[in-house]
Amino acid sequence: MQKRVTFNTKTLPYLLVGPQIAVTLVFFFWPSWQALESALYIEDAFGLSRDFVGLRNFRDLLNDDVYLASFGVSFFFGIAVTFLTMALALALASAANRVLRAATAYRTMLIWPYAVAPALAGVIWYFLMNPSLGIASYWLDAVGVDWNHYVNGDQALLLVIIAASWKQISYNFLFFLAGLQSIPQSLIEAAAIDRAGPMRRFWTIIFPLLTPTTFFLLVVNLVYAFFDTFSLIHATTQGGPANATSTLVVKVYQTGFVGQDYGSSAAQSVILMAIVIAMTFVQFRYIDRRVNY
Amino acid sequence: MAHLSLKSLTKVYPGNVTAVEAADLDVADGEFVVLVGPSGCGKSTMLRMIAGLERITSGTLKIDDKVVNDVEPGHRNIAMVFQNYALYPHMSVRRNMAYGLKNEGKPKAEIEARINEAAQMLRLTEYLDRKPRQLSGGQRQRVAMGRAIVRQPAVFLFDEPLSNLDAKLRTELRAELKALHDRLRGTFVYVTHDQVEAMSLADRIVVMNAGRIEQIGAPIALYSRPETRFVAEFIGSPAMNFVEGVLGEGGAVLVSEGREVLQFDRPIGLAGSGFVVGLRPEHMKPSKGGFARLRFRRVFDEQLGADTLIHGTLDSGPTRVILRVDGALHLPDAERLEVGVAREHLHLFDPKTGLRIDT
Ligand SMILES: Nc1ncnc2c1ncn2[C@@H]1O[C@H](COP(=O)(O)OP(=O)(O)OP(=O)(O)O)[C@@H](O)[C@H]1O
Ligand SMILES: [Mg+2]
Repeated sequence: MQKRVTFNTKTLPYLLVGPQIAVTLVFFFWPSWQALESALYIEDAFGLSRDFVGLRNFRDLLNDDVYLASFGVSFFFGIAVTFLTMALALALASAANRVLRAATAYRTMLIWPYAVAPALAGVIWYFLMNPSLGIASYWLDAVGVDWNHYVNGDQALLLVIIAASWKQISYNFLFFLAGLQSIPQSLIEAAAIDRAGPMRRFWTIIFPLLTPTTFFLLVVNLVYAFFDTFSLIHATTQGGPANATSTLVVKVYQTGFVGQDYGSSAAQSVILMAIVIAMTFVQFRYIDRRVNY
Repeated sequence: MAHLSLKSLTKVYPGNVTAVEAADLDVADGEFVVLVGPSGCGKSTMLRMIAGLERITSGTLKIDDKVVNDVEPGHRNIAMVFQNYALYPHMSVRRNMAYGLKNEGKPKAEIEARINEAAQMLRLTEYLDRKPRQLSGGQRQRVAMGRAIVRQPAVFLFDEPLSNLDAKLRTELRAELKALHDRLRGTFVYVTHDQVEAMSLADRIVVMNAGRIEQIGAPIALYSRPETRFVAEFIGSPAMNFVEGVLGEGGAVLVSEGREVLQFDRPIGLAGSGFVVGLRPEHMKPSKGGFARLRFRRVFDEQLGADTLIHGTLDSGPTRVILRVDGALHLPDAERLEVGVAREHLHLFDPKTGLRIDT
């Protein structure tokens, strides 16, 4: 039984949702519309004139090797961040779940990175890994790794993957821990009596029962990696070297604000928008079926 | 088939909570032993030590003469049925039952055969492909039993398996469980806090109190010869009545606070010493005769059909007393009744130690 509140007046509900709708219109629909519109024009660098070109911006993008490469970087980045984040968060949550009850301090510490602003997180890693100043790169040097993400594109990509994952782990950790704690202890005990060792228990009982959490986090992390890592990458590598860390969002910025090609930048954001819509659709579509038992 | 032996088994939880203290118990091959006692007395802890789910602090646990203190639960050759069923929610009934056998590496055909046999025995055949959430409570509990049966363990452990079910279903499943034991001839250790369940199922009952074993014995032995006041009070429903006092007149009466509460035909025990006299409600006859007699003040009747419970107190004081009489018996509408109890139905206990006193 759900309790429903009923309104006596007809206007009150509209007044209540009004501000939310206004905010959405001003900060979401209007810019989106602008982006959609600009994507169909080519504008000169000074913004003095523009010509309607139809879908040419999109055609150009699909023939642009640099843009296609940035797709590749984005997907690799997104999948790597998602996988790394979830694997580490699950491992940490499992460890915490064992010692729990007393270990609130442990939990609190793991949550801290999430409270760090994305740009700041980028700066932290920037300093840690700085080839000439960074303590971490100094240690790496000591074990024979020549770290220089200004030159080495793979290292740069690795750096932003680690930084982005580090920031997202705590969020994942919280959800995994909550998921683990909702699994009754007696199930694990029953499995132990059924002669399943710790690994087998994990893969045949715990992991399947975590499916709802895992699926939810999968989508959240992909969205995060795709759309929410701009400031982190911008503060750490600026998309370089040689576009090695230039994900789709970074590319929008570079094309628009650095390259001053507003039409193409708008077209890129429209493509990004389409990806978000698709992902949201997938999430909503399956969110009801997440539960597998 | 196996026998089980506990030698001074002790469990101390972190924080110095002694849950089980020096428990000694031998369970014979094929025996149905029930651990019973009030909440928090350590029954579950004892069972979980046998299962290997709880580390044994000290003492030894043997299954078939082999010390298993440090053996993993999966290798103790036991199976356990939990109060909350603990069925794997994402697996079908069939896979729930197959899980343990798969882990043991049994061949497919054998797994299949064992599941079918158990399912037939428990009338679960038509539910084999359902998920646990699609079953009723009683069916879930049968699946949990099935999961234990297919493993063909040496020892079956049950932790209050029926307590989540309603009264009618509980009675039904109790009978099934008894039949199952007769059929499997397995060694059963069963935990419950319901003494009726204990009486009806057990070959032998172990009564526990505050981490210690109070008494071990056949149901009827515990009923007719409780060794301590605790056991006397715990076994039997409604619980035994207790009348406390000092013997006077050479042992022919029991006196409490200067007033006679019980009169005996012949002197018992030593005059002048304190006693607790236990009287079961069903042994108290509203008649003038009987070895021990007391005057009873009736407060209200509770008619249960077959029996009537008469609640009241001693005429001489506030001690509460319950009588249980035949439901068809017509009693005069009097407030005061003479009640008699036969000699063999008197239980005497030491008021300090609570131990039984034989006279
Ligand atoms: N993990 C634990 N840590 C500390 N103390 C515990 C723990 N588990 C149980 N105890 C304590 O040990 C005692 C015995 O608990 P146990 O669960 O064995 O009781 P029980 O007889 O099964 O009771 P019930 O009928 O309520 O299930 C209790 O006092 C309980 O508080
Ligand atoms: Mg218990």
